Amino acid sequence: MEITINGDKTTVDGVNISVSDLLKIRNVDMPDMVSVEVNGTILERSEFDSTQVGDGDQVEFLYFMGGGR
Amino acid sequence: MSSSWSFNTKAIHSGYTRDPATGATSVPIYQTASFSYPTAEALADVFTGRKYGHVYSRISNPTVAALEARYTALESGIGAIALASGMAAISAALEALCEVGDHLVASSGLFGGTLHLLKEVLTRRGITTTFVDLSDIDGFRAAITPSTKALIVEVIGNPKLDVADLGALAAVCHDNGIPLVVDNTLTTSYLFNAKQWGADIVVNCLGKFVAGNGNTIGGIVVDTGKFDWSNSRSPLVKEFSEKFGNFAFIAATRKHIVVNTGACMAPLNAYLLMMGLESLGLRMERHCDNALGLALYFQKSSKIVEVRYPGLPGHAQTTLVQAQFNGKGGAVLTIRLGSKERAYHAMNALKMVSIATNLGDAKTLAIHVASTIYRNFTDEERQSAGVYDDLIRISVGIEGIQDIIADFDQALSGLE
Repeated sequence: MEITINGDKTTVDGVNISVSDLLKIRNVDMPDMVSVEVNGTILERSEFDSTQVGDGDQVEFLYFMGGGR
Repeated sequence: MSSSWSFNTKAIHSGYTRDPATGATSVPIYQTASFSYPTAEALADVFTGRKYGHVYSRISNPTVAALEARYTALESGIGAIALASGMAAISAALEALCEVGDHLVASSGLFGGTLHLLKEVLTRRGITTTFVDLSDIDGFRAAITPSTKALIVEVIGNPKLDVADLGALAAVCHDNGIPLVVDNTLTTSYLFNAKQWGADIVVNCLGKFVAGNGNTIGGIVVDTGKFDWSNSRSPLVKEFSEKFGNFAFIAATRKHIVVNTGACMAPLNAYLLMMGLESLGLRMERHCDNALGLALYFQKSSKIVEVRYPGLPGHAQTTLVQAQFNGKGGAVLTIRLGSKERAYHAMNALKMVSIATNLGDAKTLAIHVASTIYRNFTDEERQSAGVYDDLIRISVGIEGIQDIIADFDQALSGLE
């Protein structure tokens, strides 16, 4: 499937995968510190296991470590 | 890192294992202002927070980040920000929560610096505070208004040494939709599990017990992850919740307040505090044992008008000490000697104990609070904070207890 991560179209194996699995597959740094937005909706961390990401979805990873907003 | 690790194991292993570049087992001191990237795009990704990394040490630094990660684990939180001092930590947390016209509720027996911040600094910025006696739970509930953005207390008041009923205060806060901010400096996360008792934000002056040697200053703000920031009364944090979800408070504090006000922690100080954390548990046990030993000695002394120590069986809030701190009373006690002159006389006769304005040091320290930390307050304000002209605050160190007692014994022997 093809999803857009932080503005870049990316091919990811699988049909629908959880956000938790996506963090692992993409080898996202410091996963305990990342906020995740799917199709414009910010997720609670408790929703990472139950929220599925599928073909065409827009995903944003955002860290609170950076500079500006 | 395993969340099931004990406190002492987390204090040694969480947040940092080895340096990826060199394998160094102690955290390297990344003494650098900036961090370069191979491309403009790569730097922009980190700067905007799309990728993890560091760009400038006012914003974040790997040595400081290791301390933040370790302290987050110790408080079972979701994120932390280390700052230049404990006061910088409290200021940053309150600045993130409050703006002009807002209101805070605080306990009356706070550390002098925090009292000054609330009464003199924030008031001039249009943020007011109502002070309530720590034991008056109904008073806290009554003081909350629609403008109240947080309730702030010290777990053990300094120097009043009154003990907060954190479970009751957390219930008051959460019934009203405001976060409970606790200053865990005198107890540390070793004696008091703030998250378990309902605290939402923990601040700690790390230069005290965490440093342990009086060799640095530093502070930290931790979000325990319990508060629903999407319903926050604080506009800034609510705004950040739309982008950062659970991390809204930490993100707002770091990205809006600390980055733009600049009270960042220096990498060397983070290194010293990482070293201090490793032995915090061991030292707190010894501090508490020594403080109890000294308090029991003072209790028997005919020269002492009053000894106040949360770990003494006679303390007014022994039940809370048992429930919240497993019976440990911390390292700070106060004695009253009947007059300022007698207090000064005893202090000036000390040979080993240092006269200094700090606490949590390996060395035993004594201070006359009324003429130093509380010198600018009125008599009424001092009394409400438990500060009297004849009162000495003692931070009991980890020397041999017989030597600490011997020094006070010889100092008191000169008093009638």
